[in-house]
Amino acid sequence: MTNATDTVTGSEPTTVEPTPWESIYRERLVPMGRYLRRNKLMAGGLSILGVIVLLVIIGHLFYQQDDRKGNPQRVSELVYAASVPPRLKPSWNPWGEYPLGTDEQGRDILAHVLIGTPKTFRIGAIAAAIGIGVGLILAFVGAYAGGWADLIVRLLVDSLIPIPGLLVLILIATSLNPGQGLTENQLAFAIAVLAWPGPARVIRSQVLVMRERGYVTMAQMSGTSALGIIFKEMMPNLAPYLLASYVAALTGAMLATIGVETLGLGDIDAPTLGAMLYWIIFTNALLKAQWWWLVPPIIVIVALFVGLFMISAGLDEVANPRLRRRV
Amino acid sequence: MPSKYIVGRVGMFFLTIFLASTLVFFLPRLSGRDPFREKLFEEAQRGGYLEDVDEIAAALNEKYGFDRPLWQQYVVYLSEIARFDLGRSQFTFSKTNNQLLAETIGWTIGLTFVSAIVAFLIGTGMGAIMEWRRQNTGLLAAMAPFLMMSAVPYFIFGLVLLTVFWFSWLQAFDWELFPPYGAYDPTVEEWPDWTDLGFLGSALWHATLPALSIVLVSLGGWAMGMRGMMVTTKGEDYMLQAEAKGLPDKVRFYKYAIRNSLLPQLTGLALQIGLIVSGVVLVEIVFTYPGVGGLLVQSIRNSDYPLIQGIVFVLAFCTAVTTLVLDMIYPLIDPRISYSGN
Repeated sequence: MTNATDTVTGSEPTTVEPTPWESIYRERLVPMGRYLRRNKLMAGGLSILGVIVLLVIIGHLFYQQDDRKGNPQRVSELVYAASVPPRLKPSWNPWGEYPLGTDEQGRDILAHVLIGTPKTFRIGAIAAAIGIGVGLILAFVGAYAGGWADLIVRLLVDSLIPIPGLLVLILIATSLNPGQGLTENQLAFAIAVLAWPGPARVIRSQVLVMRERGYVTMAQMSGTSALGIIFKEMMPNLAPYLLASYVAALTGAMLATIGVETLGLGDIDAPTLGAMLYWIIFTNALLKAQWWWLVPPIIVIVALFVGLFMISAGLDEVANPRLRRRV
Repeated sequence: MPSKYIVGRVGMFFLTIFLASTLVFFLPRLSGRDPFREKLFEEAQRGGYLEDVDEIAAALNEKYGFDRPLWQQYVVYLSEIARFDLGRSQFTFSKTNNQLLAETIGWTIGLTFVSAIVAFLIGTGMGAIMEWRRQNTGLLAAMAPFLMMSAVPYFIFGLVLLTVFWFSWLQAFDWELFPPYGAYDPTVEEWPDWTDLGFLGSALWHATLPALSIVLVSLGGWAMGMRGMMVTTKGEDYMLQAEAKGLPDKVRFYKYAIRNSLLPQLTGLALQIGLIVSGVVLVEIVFTYPGVGGLLVQSIRNSDYPLIQGIVFVLAFCTAVTTLVLDMIYPLIDPRISYSGN
């Protein structure tokens, strides 16, 4: 900011060619910062997620450089620390070698959380992206083709929404990869199977409203093709809704991931947050007073969900500008 | 109430049930596994003794009809479902699935309904009052934590409650504020004798934490939804007219504002039932509540397909019935509702 004002108020008003970074800063980041100062919820949510990302990155760097203990496999130190028990008893000593302690099997809890958080987030992100994509296509097909296509989409969506998602997921999980539990990608795809009805419903109703708007009629009259209208006219206006649906789908998908893993249907030996909860619940960690095992994943999960919730509430304001005036 | 609406809605209900039961039938069979054989092998290996496993598995599969063509199994399955016969578990031989579910489903339904309705009523009421008394900023401040909580999954919040209200209390005061697991006093021998006040009390006491983890999480969402609806309703002409007529505050609040804002809340409840049921299953596991959650985990571990199918079907059925009932209630609450199906 100071650089920018200096060049403007300088004695020689020569037009200094701004560097690309400078222009990005001035045209994108400054307005964004100004917007975030107004939209406190979004700012709060983004900063919570930012802190988590930062902690995970710092943790990864810390562990990568640390080459204690013989590491026979060529996996990163962090994966090694999170998955191979150093054969310690469950313990907690914040000033010792394991700042968050070790779990029932003697695994490093800090490493487990550091590696499990991005994994959980990644599964949710993939599932939500697929869900939104399928939902978007079906919504456009339904709203545009009308008639039978719309009826089928609507019937499918309406009849699938009341079925408890987690239960269908359990069925998919038990049949996809029995015995070992689902791998991360399988889990993401299984969740995606159920992630589309919600977005499809929201987007369809938006498209139906938008189709009647003046600018769409205008484009139709000037001979724009249906695809042209969809991509050039509707998509930009749909963007806030898409983003809001994505965050909602991401929240749902992460909840599903953690839920399915907690039931023991994921890969229970993989260092994910859900698998951690599985072991915590099924070894009765709290009854054994091993609270240090429970607290870190709970804090991370609560922070993740609260952060996403705040972003989603903030996006709501973008999607529904009428809300902006109200506190 | 136009019969077209009812027929359409009931048709939707049967479509949901049909889709659910079809999913329940085909999904587990996609794997092409033979759980009997696998289990027998497992047992045989544990005992270090292997003989006739294939024959026993084949005999069991024949008995359960798993050796027949898929379409025959499907027809038989559908006719059984229509009679509400959920078949037999593969590994719990002493009882039918119907019996196993009858023992557990009551706890689940009780927990779900009581906590969902309590949360809905309190949340909706709070939201309504919040908007009606705009000057009461204290209420808004009190809502903030509930809003944040509404982002957290039920069972995660259950773990938080367990840590705070059981573990911490036990550590700090050497005293159990709430029991950490179970649904009633374990010393009770005859259950469930609901007329016995002692038993009822212990059941309520045990249900407190599981129910709280659902209620506290759901409150915020209902309150915000209701508040949003009240904002719209307050701006309507009939509200102005009611005020101009000099109707008392109470009448305007209950008969005008709340009644007109309630419908979208009920629609929301109908849409959320599926999510709530999924959540309750996980909450039950956290608190070792004797509902279907525990049975489900056990059947997943055993790859007990008939039992998994039975549980999933029953839960989907209950969800669909609740949604149907809610949809039928709308017209009672709001006579203006249009039934054209759009």
